[in-house]
Amino acid sequence: MNDRSLSRIIAVQQWYYHEARLLDSRRFDLWLQLMDQRVHYRMPSRAYLQQGDAADFSTWSVEREIDVAGSLPLIDDDLDGLRQRVGRLQTGMAWAETPPSITRRLVTNVEILDEDPQGRLSVTSAILLSKVRSGERVIFTAERRDQLIPSDNGFRLLDRYVILDDVVLASGNLSVLF
Amino acid sequence: MSHSDYVAADAAWVSPEIFSDSVLYDLEQQRIFGRSWLLLGHVSQLPVPGAFLRTNMGEESVLVTRDRDGEIHAHLNACRHRGFQLCQQDRGVAHSFQCRYHGWVYASHGALLGVPGQATLYYNELDKPRWGLVPVARVDTYKGLIFGNFDPDAPPLSDFLGDMAWYLDIILDRRLGGTELLGPQRWRIAANWKIVAENHCGDEYHVGFAHGSNFPDLPGSMRAAPLPYAREIRPMLGHGVGVNIFPDEMTPEQLLATAGFPRPRHVTDYLLRVQDEIAERLGRQRSHMSIIHGAVWPNFGMVPIVNSLRVIHPKGVGEVEMWAYCLLDRDAPADVKQWLANQTTATFGPAGSFEQDDAGNWSAVTQSSRGAQGRRHPLNLQMGIGHEERSDKFPGELGLTASEINQRGFYL
Ligand code: FES
Ligand SMILES: [Fe+2]
Repeated sequence: MNDRSLSRIIAVQQWYYHEARLLDSRRFDLWLQLMDQRVHYRMPSRAYLQQGDAADFSTWSVEREIDVAGSLPLIDDDLDGLRQRVGRLQTGMAWAETPPSITRRLVTNVEILDEDPQGRLSVTSAILLSKVRSGERVIFTAERRDQLIPSDNGFRLLDRYVILDDVVLASGNLSVLF
Repeated sequence: MSHSDYVAADAAWVSPEIFSDSVLYDLEQQRIFGRSWLLLGHVSQLPVPGAFLRTNMGEESVLVTRDRDGEIHAHLNACRHRGFQLCQQDRGVAHSFQCRYHGWVYASHGALLGVPGQATLYYNELDKPRWGLVPVARVDTYKGLIFGNFDPDAPPLSDFLGDMAWYLDIILDRRLGGTELLGPQRWRIAANWKIVAENHCGDEYHVGFAHGSNFPDLPGSMRAAPLPYAREIRPMLGHGVGVNIFPDEMTPEQLLATAGFPRPRHVTDYLLRVQDEIAERLGRQRSHMSIIHGAVWPNFGMVPIVNSLRVIHPKGVGEVEMWAYCLLDRDAPADVKQWLANQTTATFGPAGSFEQDDAGNWSAVTQSSRGAQGRRHPLNLQMGIGHEERSDKFPGELGLTASEINQRGFYL
C-alpha cells in the first residue's frame, strides 16, 4: 500500500467514524449534511434461497438472495425521503424513538474497491449497530456498499446499499439509520 | 374456561389474559388456525408450473406449489419419514423435493416418488401412495389470493368471506388484468397475534395519536375527531374494514385528492385513467369507495390506502412474525408500480413512518397482560356500542370512524 492509498483509506475511515458519531449522538440534522443531493439510500430485503445450481459451485453467490425480483426493500429513500425520515423523528411524536434509542455504531472491514477518474470511491464496510431501548438490546450487523464523492470536509454520500444480515428482522421495527 | 370468562357478551370489555394465556393460545392454534381459511399467497407468486413458496398456517410450516398441470397445492412442509422440514427455501421453482435427512423424494403435487433403498432396504414393502405429504385439506383462491384450510369440513371460502368479499373486490377486482403481490418484508414483534390483528380489523382511533408524527400540524382536538367520509364497517364473521364513502357528486379528481397521500402526476394520471374501468367492474357505489384498513378473520390484515397486505403469523403466545406485501394492479405501468411500492415501504414497511410506531404499542399491551394483578382487570372496548347502524347500500353494520365495532366483532 503506497502513501496515497494509505492516506485515502484513513480519510475514508475517519469519515465513517465521524458519521457514526453524528448518528450515535443523534445529530441527524448534521448527518443529513453529509448526503449528496442525488443520494440513494436502499436497504434490500433478503430471502432464504438456493445459491444457483446446487451442483455447480461457480453459480453460487450471496447476491442471489438479495433484492430478488418481486421482493420489497426495507428502505428505499432519496434525499427527500431521508429528510422526511429525520423530520419525523424530530416531531416529538415518533414514539418508537421518543424517548430515543441509545445506539453505538462500530464500523469495520473498510475496503476501497474502486476509484473512478473523478475520485468517486466505491467502498464496502461492515457495521455493527447496538440499540438499547426499554431495557432491551438489539444487535444489527450489516454490510454497507457506498459510493463516496470527495468534498471539502471529507466526502459526500452518493449511494448507500445496506445489506442486513437478518432475513426475518429480529427487532419489532427499524427506527435507526445505518 | 369459557368464552364468557374472557369476553363480555357484547364484547364491551375483554380480559387482558387473552393476550398472555398460553392454554388459550394452544386452543386457538387448534380451533381458529386449524379451522379458518388462512391466506397463503397470491397466484402471481407462482407464475410457472413448478413454482413454489414456503409460508405458515398458524405455527405450521406449509409448502405451496404449482404442479406441472398448473394446479395449486398446499402441504405440510414435513417429510413423512422422520418429519424433517422438506423445503428449506422461501421460494423457487422445482418439480420435486428431496428431503435432506435420508433422501425421500416428493412430487410438487405431494406424492412420494421414491425413497433410497426402496428395493434393498425396504424389500419393496413401502406403500408409497400412503406416505405422500400431508395435504392442507382445502385450497382455494379468491380473485388471485390463495387460501388454505386444514379442516376438510370447513365451509367454502366464499361462505367464510361472506360479505367481506364485497369489500375485498374494491382492491382485488379493479381491473381486468387483476393484481400482483410484491414482498414479503418480514419482521418479529414481541406481541400476541390478536392485538395486532384487532388493530388492523378496526382500530382507527389510534391513528391520530400513535401515528401523530405523520400529522405534526394537526391540532390536538382533531386527533380523535370523526372523519367526514370514513366509516368502520363490520361485515360479520370476524372480518372488519374501515372505508371511505365518497359522495356521488364527487369527481374522480376530487376523490383521489381526498383519499390517501399526495402523489406525483404520473401516478394520479394512471389512477384517473382506470376510473372508468373500475366503475364498470364494481359499479357506481364501490367506485366511490376506498378501503383504509381492514382484516379478514383471523390474521390477514391490510392497509389498502397504501396498498399494504399483511399476514400476522403467530409464533407463540407473545410473539408474531409479520409478513408485509404490496398489492398492485398487474397491468399498471412500471413507473407507477415503482412509486406505489415505494410508498408502501416508506409508510408501512418495518422502517415505515407509520409501522415503526405500531410494534412498541402491541408489545407493551402484551407485556401488561402478563402481570398477576393487571391481567385481572378488563380492557375497555365500548366505543360506539349501541350506535351501530345498517344501510341498504352496504352489507354489514356501520359505525363512525373511529368506533370499536370491528374489534368487538373480532372477539365475538
Ligand atoms: S426425514 Fe425425510 S427422508 Fe428421513
Ligand atoms: Fe397503526
